[in-house]
Amino acid sequence: MERSFKQEVAKLKLGEGETFHGEGILAVTKALLQSGVAYVGGYQGAPVSHMMDVLNDARDILDELGIHVESNASEAGAAAMLGASINYPMRGAVTFKSTVGTNVASDALSNLASAGVLGGALIVLGEDYGEGSSIIQERSHAFAMKSQIWLLDPRPNLRKIVEMVEQGFELSEASSTPVMLELRIRACHVQGSFKTKRNQAPRLSKRTLIENPAFDPGRICLPPATYAQEKHKIDVRWPAAVRFIRERKLNETFAGDMRELGILCQGGLYNAVIRALQQLGFADAFGASRVPIYCMNVTYPLIPEEITEFCRDKASVLVVEEGQPAYIEEAVLAMLRRHEVDDVKVHGKDLLPMAGEYTGEVVFKGIARYLNHASAIEPIITLKKKAAELLGGLPQRPPGFCVGCPERPVFSAMKVLESEVGKIHMSADIGCHLFSTLPPFDLGNTVLGYGLGLASNSAIQPMFGRRTITMMGDGGFWHNGLTSGIANTVFNKNDGILVIMKNGYSSATGTQELPSSPQHSAHKAPDMSMERALEGIGVGWVKTVDNYKVGAVAKTLKEAMTTDYKGLKVIIADGECQLERQRKLRPLVAKQLSEGKRTVRVKYGVDEDTCTGDHSCIRLSGCPTLTIKDNPDPLRTDPVATVIDGCVGCGLCGENAHAAVLCPSFYRAEVIQNPSLWDRLVSKIL
Amino acid sequence: MNLPERPITVLIAALGGEGGGVMADWLMEAATASGYPAQATSIPGVAQRTGATTYYLEIFPAKKEQLNGKEPVLSLTPSPGNVDVMVASELVEAGRAMHNGFVSPGRTTLIASTHRIYATVEKMQMADGRFDSARVVEAARHLAKASVLFDMRSLAQESGTVINAVLFGAMAGSGVLPLSREACERAIRGAGRGAEASLRGFAAGYDIAARARPAPAEPAPPRRATELKEILALAVDRLKDYQDERYADLYQQRIKPFLGGDAKLAATVARHLALWMAYEDIIRVADLKTRASRFERVRREVGAKDGEPVVVIDYLKPGIEEFASVLPRFLGKRLVAWAERRGRLDAYNVGMHIKTSSLFGYLLVRSLAWMKPWRPRSYRYGEEQQLIERWLGLVAEAARRDAGLAFEVAECARLIKGYGETHRRGKANFLAIVDARVENPDTADPRAQAAAIRKAREAALADPEGKALGATLGKPVVWLRPLARS
Repeated sequence: MERSFKQEVAKLKLGEGETFHGEGILAVTKALLQSGVAYVGGYQGAPVSHMMDVLNDARDILDELGIHVESNASEAGAAAMLGASINYPMRGAVTFKSTVGTNVASDALSNLASAGVLGGALIVLGEDYGEGSSIIQERSHAFAMKSQIWLLDPRPNLRKIVEMVEQGFELSEASSTPVMLELRIRACHVQGSFKTKRNQAPRLSKRTLIENPAFDPGRICLPPATYAQEKHKIDVRWPAAVRFIRERKLNETFAGDMRELGILCQGGLYNAVIRALQQLGFADAFGASRVPIYCMNVTYPLIPEEITEFCRDKASVLVVEEGQPAYIEEAVLAMLRRHEVDDVKVHGKDLLPMAGEYTGEVVFKGIARYLNHASAIEPIITLKKKAAELLGGLPQRPPGFCVGCPERPVFSAMKVLESEVGKIHMSADIGCHLFSTLPPFDLGNTVLGYGLGLASNSAIQPMFGRRTITMMGDGGFWHNGLTSGIANTVFNKNDGILVIMKNGYSSATGTQELPSSPQHSAHKAPDMSMERALEGIGVGWVKTVDNYKVGAVAKTLKEAMTTDYKGLKVIIADGECQLERQRKLRPLVAKQLSEGKRTVRVKYGVDEDTCTGDHSCIRLSGCPTLTIKDNPDPLRTDPVATVIDGCVGCGLCGENAHAAVLCPSFYRAEVIQNPSLWDRLVSKIL
Repeated sequence: MNLPERPITVLIAALGGEGGGVMADWLMEAATASGYPAQATSIPGVAQRTGATTYYLEIFPAKKEQLNGKEPVLSLTPSPGNVDVMVASELVEAGRAMHNGFVSPGRTTLIASTHRIYATVEKMQMADGRFDSARVVEAARHLAKASVLFDMRSLAQESGTVINAVLFGAMAGSGVLPLSREACERAIRGAGRGAEASLRGFAAGYDIAARARPAPAEPAPPRRATELKEILALAVDRLKDYQDERYADLYQQRIKPFLGGDAKLAATVARHLALWMAYEDIIRVADLKTRASRFERVRREVGAKDGEPVVVIDYLKPGIEEFASVLPRFLGKRLVAWAERRGRLDAYNVGMHIKTSSLFGYLLVRSLAWMKPWRPRSYRYGEEQQLIERWLGLVAEAARRDAGLAFEVAECARLIKGYGETHRRGKANFLAIVDARVENPDTADPRAQAAAIRKAREAALADPEGKALGATLGKPVVWLRPLARS
């Protein structure tokens, strides 16, 4: 795992009245334990990847309480696991990222919400929206509405977040409805503190087992029960939830002296609203605002009584709601009309943008306009204009492959192949390998979802005269690619080429373990092999390549492109994630060195006097340590290539120079540390 | 007592893997231990894979016990004009912060390292695509209330630590944080591993920001020969080294007609002529790769310590072109013509990993360098001299019409560089421009012609596939591309 929480999980043991300092995700985990959760699970994905890491690192603590922990196979698996709360009074929580995770989980979520729950069921959603996001920009709100799952969006303050987790379970039980807790990226990573409570052992757990199975035909999602379930949602669960939210005051109203105005905001945006008001002189540093605020820590369902009460007798209100469609704003408009609160002018998306993250700047501008302080925006516009004039366009710096990444050479090989056979259509998939779509490779024509690379190629391949290529990671393979892609292709007797990046981990999300990881924690099954799975499914053409051998990879790709074999051709591109490899190697090398043992350190380099500064090598690599420097030759102007510190000696530079016949400037240097007598003797000869 | 009106806001821009998160943790720890309410947040996600990312902190500069249970509301996102300390671990990231409005003259202290880590789009260009660092430094002068700018990476390397320690020190030393030096150092110490090295880096950064010691000197700009005299001297030395006295004399004869004319033109021709005449053939490459100075440089570049032997392995893949280049002219010409006809120019390249640092490898490569006296009789030599003469003729002819036009023709020599396919592509681009814009111009006006040549040359350097040049010239540029490689 990329980040270890082994030390931090000790905070999960804090007792009554102690102070927790730490990150949002860890606070949520502590809140789950304080709520007496019986089982937890999920699927990694930013910004909640670390929650899975925390759960795995906290297994000992969870075991003590009898809590079951599972790294689910997918978000669908995680959501389905919540089915344990349908018949049994057990609290359960799962986590995944939204919206892609919620998409995958939808089937189980719909069924869970229809059946209703006896024990509290909580879904911790990492709202991957705005700056730092890695996915399509959509909001979770629609899922809550369509399946009738309550949606919590707490103020981004650890105390409030923890309180909402605890209340969320109670709300779930009081209304027989699963609950989603939505945390934006920054809230997941926010560092703060709160007073802890004692952890509660669950009533039913691995230590106090269920004795009798419960059977309730009303909980089965099959007609006629489904009709009754839908009615129950509206007639019983919804009113129960509204009652609970009102009674517990989950939403907060902050009074202010400017009573003719008011701001309704999602809880998660409260701090941004306060900061904007502070900057405009309408609030102090502690949140005391002159403009009244209605802070919705629950954004679904809305509470008509509270909203009409807040808006009544006001001249206008501003709804601060991030993303689109503007579900809340439109609901508020309808609600006021229905309750005959007609004199209030409702602002929202007219003053704030319909799409995009509500950053400090965006909220500031919207509230400035609402409070007729538009002139306060001028200095920002002037400042940015001046900066743009002074700087011009800056080079973008998107994320990319790490130093020595084993996936990079596969795309180098593909570039080499392209220079030979022409442009290739590539169906991309989710994972680090998606960086191939960025410079310098610009490879990959579509991406349709995790593990769906091959499925998305189904109607492409038959339409091409020559073969196309599909990418898939080992993460995507186990998530669903094995069935939706590989089994489907074999079943339909499709032709095609699939490259599986076997780097051994779910690397993009923080190198979590996969079924086929090279080594496993004690609590995971060892040796689940992709190769055997492919064989079992009946894939007849499987070749494994060593990624760093660019020439051989290009050759294998070409063979797959040209072979007479009809059907799916799978190339397993084998190369362990360099992050994990280095994490294992570094301490070993340090130990070897300190023991005075002979150790060879490999670094690549470029001869500056034979490099002519064309940078073809960089266009085939993009490695952060293969870069440029001023040309040392006073007669030349173009910068030369150079390899800087940090090179892990993967050898791609040299392989590329060979495979693409680039230039003779690359060399490999082996520095012999703690040399033997023989080494010294040999080195003296020259 | 009067409480502060607002928190101190700190925005950190870093690249994934630089330890920005650790620095945020230090700050958070120092603030919390000092009794201040504080909040830190970040957007790690996928950006941590080498991309640009940010960390944001707010520290309320009043001790908790003075607040009587009140809690400040701290924001999770920075807003323009509202940042007290802007920290950037790299110069263009400082530029990006300014671009986003996070550095304002009334409020922001900018603390940034002046070193560059080039973005892929900068370094992949065929010529020089680097962003001009001076623009960022100049913008900082206009936009920051105060700024601490120096090369923190080199200071970190000197201190045997990573850049975040130096940045943290510079932040503390600049006096903009409500945190004492001791509190910051305690936070580093508390974090454990590598604390001693981090503390060294911290101290260095602190002292420079507090002006207790001077910032390390910025690296000197690269030496560029711009004066004609200097270029001529370098050129003659280079060609003597490359071949012999006679070859250097040939250079001087060739440049002579230009010496009395336009100075800028003469300098350009002199420079390109020297580089072209010292073209990189296998004899030259073998010579450069087997010099003692080269092995010394490799040792330096890989950071080998005294007493650590370094094995150097060269990646060479000579093919028909390289073989033909040293053959007698008539043979070489036939061989290349045959290979081109069959499309087999790259079919017989032999990949070799030669251990140049071993006796055998050294002798193998050095023996190629010993072919130097044979060079004037080789196929490649004849080809190059012919094209050089043609180019010089075109420049001289243009000079009779207009110095500006001649300058643009001379500059086209820049396109010919590299090895193998790169060289073929450059040469094809050169010839295409000569054909369409120099010898058969579509305008009689020398200025318009000069502009057209410059445009075509820039297009030739825009993409390696020749798309831009093809579009500019209105016809595709064709060069022989490898067919069988693997």
